[in-house]
Amino acid sequence: MIKSILLVDDENLFHLVFEDACSLLDITLDLRTLSSAESAEELFKVWQNDPTDKPECVFVDLNIIGSAFDGIELVRRINYLYGNGVVVGIISSSADQAEINRSVLAGSQFWIVKSDEIEPRLEAFREDYDKYKDRTKDFTVYK
Amino acid sequence: MKITLSQESEAQIILASEKRNVFLEGNILKLLETENESFQEYLNKALELDTEVRKKRLDITKKFQDQNKSLQEKATENEQLMVEIREALEKAEHAKKTALNDLDVMQQKSQFELIGSIVQIALRVIVGVGIIVTGMYLFAMYSQSTETTLIGNTWSNLFGILLTNSFSIIGTIMGVKYATNDSGSKEKKDEQ
Repeated sequence: MIKSILLVDDENLFHLVFEDACSLLDITLDLRTLSSAESAEELFKVWQNDPTDKPECVFVDLNIIGSAFDGIELVRRINYLYGNGVVVGIISSSADQAEINRSVLAGSQFWIVKSDEIEPRLEAFREDYDKYKDRTKDFTVYK
Repeated sequence: MKITLSQESEAQIILASEKRNVFLEGNILKLLETENESFQEYLNKALELDTEVRKKRLDITKKFQDQNKSLQEKATENEQLMVEIREALEKAEHAKKTALNDLDVMQQKSQFELIGSIVQIALRVIVGVGIIVTGMYLFAMYSQSTETTLIGNTWSNLFGILLTNSFSIIGTIMGVKYATNDSGSKEKKDEQ
């Protein structure tokens, strides 16, 4: 089980889907959800000095509507500005190869394609999670 | 990290489920630990109910998500249609203005053509009458007719009348032309 997860996604309905899927699949007991990239960035600024509540894994939506920058830019900032220290990747309904390549350059470790059947992808991700944590698994797209 | 409740608390929680059908729910159930068999049974049942509720909620939320997506797609389509309709209306409006202008030009052209014909005919009549009367006057003078004074007076009267008429025609034509131009420019101003 993953100790704690942060989900950054503008779609509140997906927060519920993700929460229920995580609970049903025993992925985590500690899930935090945010709706904007800016609020996530603010928290990472705080966690840079005091990592007490820092999550173990971060799922970032690709297009966070209402935010000044997209999910890939948030991943880049987490990796290059705020000291990383988390398993971080993109969760998006898109599977555009150009965006996927961009996310790899930003330091994303995985890409999960959002759809009606999110549970099998999350299960597969859970299986691989320890390798992501050890940084022994290459970037993977869960389609 | 596991949580163990006191025996009294466990008994109260079980009692609440039996008497009021109220169960604990959520992730807290996964943290509770007990050696009490009946409370373990309660926890199993509560977890089962919680899973059922979550599955139902997950299904409903997914349906809502789908509906939201299709609504958003339809809204985008509608927006696009509205843009297309607006463009088509603008084009139709432009075509209407062009057609009205063309019609106006055609009307003016036919009016000018008519005026031109009237002027030509009127001038030909004036010139014709002038030539005939002048010819008659000259003939009378060369044939040493005694009626030259009468024809001379008639000639000058006729010529005066003809000149007056021709100026009157030219005045009328100019008036019509001015009025046509004025109404045309007013219409254009109204359109703007």
